[in-house]
Amino acid sequence: MLSALPIGWLDSPPPEYLPAAADCPRGRITEIVGPRSSGRTSFMHSILAASTQLGEFAVLIDTNNSFDSCSAAAAGVELSKMIWIRCGANVEHAMRSADLVLHSGGFGVVALDLAEAAESALNRIPQTTWFRWRRAVQATPTVLAVIANRPLTKSCSALLIEMRRRRAVFTGNLLRGAEYELAPRKPIGKERTALHCAAV
Amino acid sequence: MYACIHGDGARALGESFSPFVEMIDAQTAVFSITERQIKEIARDRASLLKKGTDRSVHCGDTLVEGDCGGSGDRVVSPLFRIAVAATIEAAVLAARHFEGVTILQPGEEDRVLGSLPVDALPPDPEIFETLDLWGIRSLSELARLPENGVAERLGPRGLWMQKLARGALDRPLKPVALETTYEEEIELDDPLEMLEPLLLLIGRFLHDLCARLDAQSLAAAALRFTFNGAERWLRLPFPTRDTKFLLKLIQHDFEAHPLSEPPAKIKLAIVPTEPRRVQHSLFTPSAPEPEKLELTLGKIRALVGKENVKIPELRNTYRPGWSISDARLAFRYFRPALPARVETEGGVPKHLTARVCRGNIVKIAGPWRSSGDWWTADWNRDEWDLSLADGALYRIYFDRKASGWFLEGNYD
Repeated sequence: MLSALPIGWLDSPPPEYLPAAADCPRGRITEIVGPRSSGRTSFMHSILAASTQLGEFAVLIDTNNSFDSCSAAAAGVELSKMIWIRCGANVEHAMRSADLVLHSGGFGVVALDLAEAAESALNRIPQTTWFRWRRAVQATPTVLAVIANRPLTKSCSALLIEMRRRRAVFTGNLLRGAEYELAPRKPIGKERTALHCAAV
Repeated sequence: MYACIHGDGARALGESFSPFVEMIDAQTAVFSITERQIKEIARDRASLLKKGTDRSVHCGDTLVEGDCGGSGDRVVSPLFRIAVAATIEAAVLAARHFEGVTILQPGEEDRVLGSLPVDALPPDPEIFETLDLWGIRSLSELARLPENGVAERLGPRGLWMQKLARGALDRPLKPVALETTYEEEIELDDPLEMLEPLLLLIGRFLHDLCARLDAQSLAAAALRFTFNGAERWLRLPFPTRDTKFLLKLIQHDFEAHPLSEPPAKIKLAIVPTEPRRVQHSLFTPSAPEPEKLELTLGKIRALVGKENVKIPELRNTYRPGWSISDARLAFRYFRPALPARVETEGGVPKHLTARVCRGNIVKIAGPWRSSGDWWTADWNRDEWDLSLADGALYRIYFDRKASGWFLEGNYD
């Protein structure tokens, strides 16, 4: 039995917000969905940080070339243990790259960032792809994290977290941070938790 | 048994006895020697020495003359000193400090070497000073000291020197590596139009070259192709001599970057290096197999472009997006930044319109002015962090050079 990848908080959270809901199961697909500025990327950074800090290697497949290495490094991602694949808004390239990486094996986390990707391209992804990938990561220590605006993997994901905006913290003439809400949609029964991210 | 030759041209003389010669310094060569060769040396020193070389040599009291390197001049070379012993270090000590030919039978090293002064050992001023204070002048006196006492007072180095003085320090021979070139070439009647026959040919080259590398315990660090006189390099991410892996890598590289013209003259050279040694551990986290990973990355590079597969790194600069920052709030870039239309009141943005968003600004922080790199592609801008009515957080900036507003990305 593979243990879950524990995800730490990005900022000191209140004790009632312990992140039991956010542990990502290994050998399964974890899906993180939400609109823009809902904390999807912060959560993805925390998954990458948890994995790379354990000494594992991670891959980020960045469909829209949107990755910011500065905030990722600040969140604890060890950049030297991460491969960044930029796909130039080409969803087909992103899916093909993810397929190659998953079948190569040996990574702690494979993060597929499909957030902000063209809806028409996302609609063309066959459902069988997710089933194949679910099989590919089974019995491996890999966490396949899919980040998107809406759920894509349907029944193939073991953990589906819906991210929501809670509030932005402006103090004076300064954006100090943001608070997000994690609402686990799958498995059913997990409690909602909050994610705090500091901007300064 | 080992033989040591000390003098000018020691290497050439040593190589006449054995192909595996270790050079201690420019004048001292050591090699393994057989019983029969020892008997020959003992029987007829001068003629044996002459057998392997055309140089003139002095051997002990015997002078032998001959042609020097085919030049025709008859010269008298400097003296050679030769020693045979059961250990390399004893042979070296004897050859450096005894005239002529010295043959140390096993067990009599300490007796013969004992007459040498302590200075014959490799220099170590601190230990020499201590030995001098103790009144130790010769190797026999050093050899007679109790080992425990030497270890306590002089440490491992002192113990090492005592073993050397006894002629008991044993180690394997480290022969000079043979210089080999790893190259194969062919000139065809007709140029190869297709990739497959070219790979077939390169595969044959690789098979031979990797077998030669294997025989020398070496691996390939890089491959240098020469097609019709034009060079092309393939640098490997790690040393390897796996033919299949190399061939796959070459295939991916040639598919991603096809040759400019069909090759008729093909040359492949391998740059050799030490092979990769990996120590596995039970507690090391799993990592991708290097061969598999490189092939995978090769396929991805061919798909998305070489420049789009990388390991991110931060740079020592204040340039936005490159610098080291403490902000943990994740940011997503629009690359390139999207042109935006911003309505301002008193210099403060109030309404934002861009391709991906539109709305009234409800909260805003800024402006934060930054500029730099005036000597190259400089930046000069005023940044604002803002929240739209729907709650989305963006960063916009006014480019002071282009006099325009841009949407850089959003906080997420």
